[in-house]
Amino acid sequence: MANKPAAKPSSPNQPAQKPVPPKSTASDEKRTFEPKYNWMNKTRQWGVRVKPGKAGLRLGDLNVGIYGETPTQWADQSRNPRGAVPRRGMPPVGYSIRDKAGLWADCAADLYEEAIQRRWAPATDVPWDTIEPLPDDVEHAVCQVCTELVGYANVDIETITGWQHQMSYGYHEVKQFLATASFDAARHYECFRKRALANGGGLGLEGPGMVNRMILESRGGWTEAVVYLLIMRGTFAMTLYKYLGRHAHNDAERFIYGHALADKARHVTYALDHLKYAMAHADDVLQVVRTLIAIGEGGLTRDLRDPVLAEALAVVFGRGVAKAAGRGMAVYGDMMRDYVATYLGYCQWLGVPRDPARLPPPLNEYANPTGAEA
Amino acid sequence: MSEAANGAERELDLGWMDRTGPWETRAEPGKYGLTIADISIGDYGDAPEVSDNLTGRARGAAARPASYRIGAYAVRSKNEIWLDNASFLYEEALQRQWSSATDVPWHTIEPLPDDVEQAECQLATFLTEVEFVAGDVPARWVSLTTPDFYEPRQVLLAQVMDESRHMDVFRKRALANGGGLMQATGATSGFVGSIDLSRDFTEMSSRLHVSGEGAVLTLFRMGELMAQNEAEKVIYRLCAQDEARHVAFGVMHLRYMSETAPERREEIHCYLDEAEGGLIGAANPVGQLTPTSESMAIILGGGKENFDDGMNKIIAIRRRQLQEYRKRVISAGFGERFENGRSRVAQMIEEAA
Ligand SMILES: [Fe+2]
Ligand SMILES: [Fe+2]
Repeated sequence: MANKPAAKPSSPNQPAQKPVPPKSTASDEKRTFEPKYNWMNKTRQWGVRVKPGKAGLRLGDLNVGIYGETPTQWADQSRNPRGAVPRRGMPPVGYSIRDKAGLWADCAADLYEEAIQRRWAPATDVPWDTIEPLPDDVEHAVCQVCTELVGYANVDIETITGWQHQMSYGYHEVKQFLATASFDAARHYECFRKRALANGGGLGLEGPGMVNRMILESRGGWTEAVVYLLIMRGTFAMTLYKYLGRHAHNDAERFIYGHALADKARHVTYALDHLKYAMAHADDVLQVVRTLIAIGEGGLTRDLRDPVLAEALAVVFGRGVAKAAGRGMAVYGDMMRDYVATYLGYCQWLGVPRDPARLPPPLNEYANPTGAEA
Repeated sequence: MSEAANGAERELDLGWMDRTGPWETRAEPGKYGLTIADISIGDYGDAPEVSDNLTGRARGAAARPASYRIGAYAVRSKNEIWLDNASFLYEEALQRQWSSATDVPWHTIEPLPDDVEQAECQLATFLTEVEFVAGDVPARWVSLTTPDFYEPRQVLLAQVMDESRHMDVFRKRALANGGGLMQATGATSGFVGSIDLSRDFTEMSSRLHVSGEGAVLTLFRMGELMAQNEAEKVIYRLCAQDEARHVAFGVMHLRYMSETAPERREEIHCYLDEAEGGLIGAANPVGQLTPTSESMAIILGGGKENFDDGMNKIIAIRRRQLQEYRKRVISAGFGERFENGRSRVAQMIEEAA
């Protein structure tokens, strides 16, 4: 480097010049920086070598040693990955669900990987070209049902995304599973909209919305939202998909309902597992769930007394208005019996059995299992 | 017992058949199947400038006057969240989903020298930590956005899924090769001006999508330089593909905002001022000298003994980050900041020469 002339000393009669800090440049950085390496060897467990199995390297496979320890409370409100050395003194992000009982399900990691393996794309996987014009009454009915199903998917989306960011980072498996669940719901949202707009029809009338309201107003905790969103509504949606799949008019509809059913089954599996866990590990959850479902059944029956969905389904099942009141409503009755039986079975399994005779009408009328389609 | 339940026939009302949205709509699948662009036809394609839909009904469906107002949406003005290519980004996200369990050739990972493995694990810890800020935050905004703007919501939902996969792929990498997680950095903590705390969507998006994920995208695109094996190359390549969509969302949204709400341009410039400070900050692995950038230097140099070589590469990557950031901001319609002396990015690029 060329020698620069020394700076002239300032005259004692003049104020000293303010020292100017040398401008840092990248070349200074390269020249002067000495690495500290004080991050090295900072680990809580070293020597971990998880090998991929037959199904690849799965999220659940990582739960070895301390990395698999999921404590009952997660006080850390940062995004410190579970098992990493935390950095102290960082302002919290603000996670409100910090108890394992508030979200956990052992199956979440497996459901996450399963959801990824079973992904589908409505735009290209649904054989849209198999849709042929339908009689006007049937098209109206299909479009009305799809409008309701778009509404269900919307509530799935708004509810899951409203809770997911409140869940502690230490329980990442659940956050990740819910990412697949809200993405599933996104698919359902656009797919049912696409079906409604693909065959000479359009969207119908919005749903009555009482169950939507119950779900979105579940502000007490994610567990409460799960009761309404995934058990009460989720089981209902699953039953609808099943019967709509059986009465599909073409391969496109069969594909859509079949895949929506498989997606929804994962969500309900998580819900059952989570509720069982929450009831076993937190005081009062069992009683709270019992109260919630008693109230929820009232809300559900309010929606069921609205004739629109039942009539639209009856037209689909009866393949037209002419047979809707007879054959169509008979299948609707079978569907409702199937739903009530599944719902009562889940309640029983969860340890909150319901007396079929005491269900509010019209639910109690479907509590008789005879006559349900196998 | 009701008639439906006992199988007796009942009169149907069928009044709902006259209460529909626009009828006789027939969307046709195109070259890429039936996309959400293909169903944006007629009135169904029109998102309102301001949404008065508080019941959550699908855009274009017939409303029930008695519906409950359960939406409580904070984002109801189109220019707050809209972008013109949402359909494309969403459909592409669906086509390009991948599995960290089965699409990464994990068997190609071989034992590495201890300093390199430690560096890999420090970087993987950092990425496991920061990836899901881009899941948590977009998710929250989805829950606050009216379904009348469902197209951008769909893109954000795909992003949450992508970030979930990013969080898990780097955790998998940290635990796959005889190492483990190391120390978290606190990079996404609750500081004023952080991604989590933004109370406006566009502020959040400028910081998350444009500057934050933009910087990460440049990094992932340098995966060939960073990777020690085929598995890592695949991870960086697939993550870069995802990040490119997230960045595109932010750039396209800023462009829409700039064109439709010019009164907000000055405010957006203020967010960009802040974001530019962060571009060389501790949250960037090739920013200031931090544990993560030290680990990057070891990875890029191929060991502690080549630290200086690694540092040179870090500075080259930083320069590229800054250049790409400038291009994106120009593309978003805020390029004047590089002409009028407001932005320090040109100087930062020069310093990284
Ligand atoms: Fe990411
Ligand atoms: Fe991202």
